[in-house]
Amino acid sequence: MPTVVVMDVSLSMTRPVSIEGSEEYQRKHLAAHGLTMLFEHMATNYKLEFTALVVFSSLWELMVPFTRDYNTLQEALSNMDDYDKTCLESALVGVCNIVQQEWGGAIPCQVVLVTDGCLGIGRGSLRHSLATHNQRSESNRFPLPFPFPSKLYIMCMANLEELQSTDSLDCLERLIDLNNGEGQIFTIDGPLCLKNVQSMFGKLIDLAYTPFHAILKCGHLTADVQVFPRPEPFVVDEEIDPIPKVINTDLEIVGFIDIADISSPPVLSRHLVLPIALNKEGDEVGTGITDDNEDENSANQIAGKIPNFCVLLHGSLKVEGMVAIVQLGPEWHGMLYSQADSKKKSNLMMSLFEPGPEPLPWLGKMAQLGPISDAKENPYGEDDNKSPFPLQPKNKRSYAQNVTVWIKPSGLQTDVQKILRNARKLPEKTQTFYKELNRLRKAALAFGFLDLLKGVADMLERECTLLPDTAHPDAAFQLTHAAQQLKLASTGTSEYAGYEHNITPLHTDFSGSSAERM
Amino acid sequence: MKIFSESHKTVFVVDHCPYMAESCRQHVEFDMLVKNRTQGIIPLAPISKSLWTCSVESSMEYCRIMYDIFPFKKLVNFIVSDSGAHVLNSWTQEDQNLQELMAALAAVGPPNPRADPECCSILHGLVAAVETLCKITEYQHEARTLLMENAERVGNRGRIICITNAKSDSHVRMLEDCVQETIHEHNKLAANSDHLMQIQKCELVLIHTYAVGEDSLVSDRPKKELSPVLTSEVHSVRAGRHLATKLNILVQQHFDLASTTITNIPMKEEQHANTSANYDVELLHHKDAHVDFLKSGDTHIGGSSREGSFKETITLKWCTPRTNNIELHYCTGAYRISPVDVNSRPSSCLTNFLLNGRSVLLEQPRKSGSKVISHMLSSHGGEIFLHVLSSSRSILEDPPSISEGCGGRVTDYRITVVPLASVIVKESLTEEDVLNCQKTIYNLVDMERKNDPLPISTVGTRGKGPKRDEQYRIMWNELETLVRAHINNSEKHQRVLECLMACRSKPPEEEERKKRGRKREDKEDKSEKAVKDYEQEKSWQDSERLKGILERGKEELAEAEIIKDSPDSPEPPNKKPLVDMDETPPVEKSKGPVSLLSLWSNRINTANSRKHQEFAGRLNSVNNRAELYQHLKEENGMETAENGKASRQ
Repeated sequence: MPTVVVMDVSLSMTRPVSIEGSEEYQRKHLAAHGLTMLFEHMATNYKLEFTALVVFSSLWELMVPFTRDYNTLQEALSNMDDYDKTCLESALVGVCNIVQQEWGGAIPCQVVLVTDGCLGIGRGSLRHSLATHNQRSESNRFPLPFPFPSKLYIMCMANLEELQSTDSLDCLERLIDLNNGEGQIFTIDGPLCLKNVQSMFGKLIDLAYTPFHAILKCGHLTADVQVFPRPEPFVVDEEIDPIPKVINTDLEIVGFIDIADISSPPVLSRHLVLPIALNKEGDEVGTGITDDNEDENSANQIAGKIPNFCVLLHGSLKVEGMVAIVQLGPEWHGMLYSQADSKKKSNLMMSLFEPGPEPLPWLGKMAQLGPISDAKENPYGEDDNKSPFPLQPKNKRSYAQNVTVWIKPSGLQTDVQKILRNARKLPEKTQTFYKELNRLRKAALAFGFLDLLKGVADMLERECTLLPDTAHPDAAFQLTHAAQQLKLASTGTSEYAGYEHNITPLHTDFSGSSAERM
Repeated sequence: MKIFSESHKTVFVVDHCPYMAESCRQHVEFDMLVKNRTQGIIPLAPISKSLWTCSVESSMEYCRIMYDIFPFKKLVNFIVSDSGAHVLNSWTQEDQNLQELMAALAAVGPPNPRADPECCSILHGLVAAVETLCKITEYQHEARTLLMENAERVGNRGRIICITNAKSDSHVRMLEDCVQETIHEHNKLAANSDHLMQIQKCELVLIHTYAVGEDSLVSDRPKKELSPVLTSEVHSVRAGRHLATKLNILVQQHFDLASTTITNIPMKEEQHANTSANYDVELLHHKDAHVDFLKSGDTHIGGSSREGSFKETITLKWCTPRTNNIELHYCTGAYRISPVDVNSRPSSCLTNFLLNGRSVLLEQPRKSGSKVISHMLSSHGGEIFLHVLSSSRSILEDPPSISEGCGGRVTDYRITVVPLASVIVKESLTEEDVLNCQKTIYNLVDMERKNDPLPISTVGTRGKGPKRDEQYRIMWNELETLVRAHINNSEKHQRVLECLMACRSKPPEEEERKKRGRKREDKEDKSEKAVKDYEQEKSWQDSERLKGILERGKEELAEAEIIKDSPDSPEPPNKKPLVDMDETPPVEKSKGPVSLLSLWSNRINTANSRKHQEFAGRLNSVNNRAELYQHLKEENGMETAENGKASRQ
C-alpha cells in the first residue's frame, strides 16, 4: 500500500506554538517532527513501502515521487518553504493524478494529510468545495472518494478544542465520509508540543504501519515470517456479514497443487512472505536482508546460514511447479508460490483468495480437496498424465451447448440453411438432417413460433419436388416424412408438439429390395 | 457487495393473452436461395414472429446472458399470465437453466387468439410474482440458518420484469397499484410465516410492447419510487429486435455488466482455407473487469457506441498465443463471459478455441505503441473467464531475493535417499527393511568414495551450487538427522543408525573437535603452523598412492565447514589444520603402505571410540582379546588360564 504524504505549507502552518522555556516552534515544525518519526519507523520496520511527498497551499507540488529512500523524504522535509493559503481540493486532485499515474486504479493507497485545520478562505477553501459538492459535473467531480481503494488519514496540528471552536472538524469529518468512511482524523491530545505530536503519530503508526508478523507452518516445519504489505481486513458481504475478516497469524499450509490446476486464479491481494529471525523475546532481529549497517550485516549473515523453511518451501514449489494452499482463516484460503522478479531474483509470495467455501469454481469446494492417497484411484493417473481439474460445471454455458437464438434474422437463416444443406445430401446425411430439424423444432415450439414450422415444412416439400432424377429414392421419402411431422407439430396440439418428442427418420429399406430385384 | 440485492430474484411475467398472438409485423426471410440453384423458383413468403414469440425469445436471451455470467445465486422465476398465472419454475438451483425454461414454455405454447380476452389479464401474473418473491430461496434459507440470531440480516429484494401490451398510461398505473397493494398484503402474510419473507424492496420494470408501425399508447417513464418498498419504471418498446435490444440493455443494467470487444481475431476463411481475416467478437461480463478503465476515467480506450445499444464497449486486441506454457499470472479478478451474439461464426470460433484449453492474452490498443497486456481469456472446465491482469506498476517491485534473506545462504535443502527415507519413517521395520537401509547407506559410501555426483536437482539453486564434497557433507548430516528422528521407534531403527554412524565419514563429534582445534590453532603463530603443516606433509610422503588418498581426505575435511555460496567464507581451505590426523594413533605411519580398508576401519574405530567409554576388557586386552572370568583364574590357579590360552590358539 503506497503512501502519499500531503503536507500543508500554507502560511497558517507558520503560526507559533508557545512552549515554555524553549525556542519558538511553529506548527510546521511539529508536523515535520511527526513525519520524521513516521519516516524513521518506515525506514526500519516498513522499508518496502513506497512513499511520495506532496506539499500544497493554493497550488500543489510533488516534492518527492514514490520512493523507498527515506533519506530523500527526510531531506525534503527540511527544505520546505512557506506559501499562501490552503486549498485542499486542488491538492486532493493532485493526489488522484499522482497515484493513478503511478499505480493505476486498483492498488490501495494510504493518504496522510498533514494540516493545521485551517481550511482556507473563499474559492478553493474546503468550505467552498463542500458547499458546491452537489453541483458538480463529471468533468469537475470532487476528488473524493479517491478513484482507487484508499485510506485517508488526517493529521491535525491542532487539538480537538481548537478544531471544534470552528466548523473545521465537521468539514474534515465530511471528507472522511466522502471517502466512503475510509480513513480517520487524528488530533493532538493536550497542548501542542513535540511529545504530544509524537504520540499522535505513534497512533497512526500503530494503526497503519505495524508490520504483519505470522508463523508459516507445514506439519512440523515452521518459520517466522513478515507478510508485506499487511493483509487488510476484508468484508465479504456488507449486509449479512459486515464484520471484516482478518487473516490468521498462524498460516497453516494445508496442501499442494499444480500450477496448471490452480490456473491463474483471481486474488484479492498479493504479499511478499519474508522469513524473519526473531530473538528470544520475539523481537525481530532482521529480515536477513542485507543492509548498509555493519552490525545488521553480520546478524543477517548468521541468519542467512541458518536453514529456513521458507527457503525450502520456495525452492520446492519452484522446482515442482506447484503452489501451496494455505489456510488464512475459517473458510478462507490463499496460495504460496515462487514469484520471479527477474532471472536472478525470486521470492516466496502469498496471494489471498476471496473468502468462502469455494473461491475457485474449477477446484470445487476447498473442504473436499484431499491428499492423492485418499482417492481410490490416483486422480492424476499412474503416469501423471491426467488431472482431476478443472471441475466441469453441472450446467453447460450457452456457448458450450449449441443454444438456439433467433433474435437476428441471420441466426434463423443459418439454422434453416443447415437443414436445407443436409436435405440435399440425403440419405447420406440423414442423421445430421434430423438432428438439425429437431433442434429447430424444439426452439420453435418453445418460442411459440409455429409459423416457422409450417414454413420449413413447405420448404422441404418444395425441395422434394426439386430432387434431381439421380437422387436416391430415400431422399424423397425422408423429406416428405419430415415435412409432414413439422406440419403436425405446427398445429400445436399436445399430441404432436411435445417438446421432448423427436422426429425420427422414416424406416425404409431400399438396399434389401433393390438387391432382390437385381 | 450484497448477495441478496434486487438481482438475487428476478420474476419474469410475460403476457399470454390473445392479443399477444398478433404479429409483430417485422418480416423474417427464412428461405434464402443459395447460388447455383435452379432459376425461376420463387422463395417462400417471409414469416413474422408474434408479440409472444418476440417477448419470449428476448426474455430467454436475458436469462441466457444472466445464467452464463452468474450461474449461481442469481435466480429467475418465469410466470406466464392469461386466464390465470402459470408459474413455470421455482427458485431452486436445479430449475435455473435455459433447457428447463424452454421445455416449460413449449408446454405452454403460443397464446390462443380465439380465447376470450375478457377472462385474460396480466394481473394474475403480477399477483403471482409478488407471491413468489415472498418465497424463500435456498440461498436465503442457508444464510438465515447460518446467521442464527442474526437471520434478519438476510434481505429479501427482487425485481419483476413484466412484458405486456398495455392499453394506456392509466392502465399502467392500475398495474402498478395492483403490485403495490399485493406487496402490502403479502408482506402481512409473510410476517406471520416461517416459510415466507417480507419483501423489502421490489423493482417493477414494466415493458409495454406493440407491433411495429403502430402508435404506442403508453409513454416511457424513468424509475420512480411508488413507496419505500416499490419502485417502478415503464418502457414502451416496439416488438421484434427493438424489444430484444431493450432487454439486452436491461440485463446489463440489472447485473452491472459491461462489454468488451475482442478485435483482430484471426480466423480461417471458409472459402479460402489458407487465408485468414480478422474478426471482432463482443463479450459481456461483470463491469469490474473494467475497473482499471472506469476508475481512471479512461473509458474511451477504443470505445465505440454500438448501433442500437447505448452501452459502450471497450476494445482489446487479441494476442496470438505462442506457446501453451503454464504460467501463474497475477490476476486481480476473473469474470464469466457471455458472447453477445452467441451463435455467430466469429463468436463460436473464439469460444471453441478457448474451450479447447487455450488461453489468449488481450492487449490494450494504445497510440503510443507500448504494449500493455491487461486481460486474459481462459476457460476452466467449460466456462470461459475474462481475467484481469495487473498492468500497473507493482508495489512489490525490486523485492529482496529469497537468497538474501534468512536461510538464503543454505543452498541445498533436499536430497533423495531412496528407499531409506521412505522406509525409516515406518513405525516398525522388517529385517528386509533394515537390510535395505544398510544397502542404501553402503551405496552412498561407495558413491562418495568414487566421487560420484549426488542425484540432486540444480534447478532451484543459484549458480553452480555447492561442491560435491560439500553436498556429501550436507547429505550425511541430513541423513543422520532423519534417522535419529526415528530411532525411538524400534531396535531395528537403532540398527540403521548404528550402520549409518559406522559409515559416516565425519561424525559430529569430530567436527566439534575440529572447531575446537581451529580455535586453538588460531592462536598459534602462522609460521609455526606452516612448519607444522610441512612436517606433517613430509612424514606422509612414503607412498604416492597414500598421498593421493589423503589429499582427498584432507580437502574433504578442510572444505567441510565452508559454505561455498558465501562470498566471505571463513578461511582459505589450505590453512585448515589437520587436527584429527594429530590424534590418529601413529601406528600405521611406520608400517608403510596401508590398504584403503585398514585406513577406513581405523577412522571408524577412532570415531566409534569417542562415542562411549571403552570396555575395561578391551582396554586391557592382548591382541584385541580379553580374558574373561579372570577372578576364576585367581581362585583356581594357573592351569585354567593355560588351558584357555591353548584352546584359543
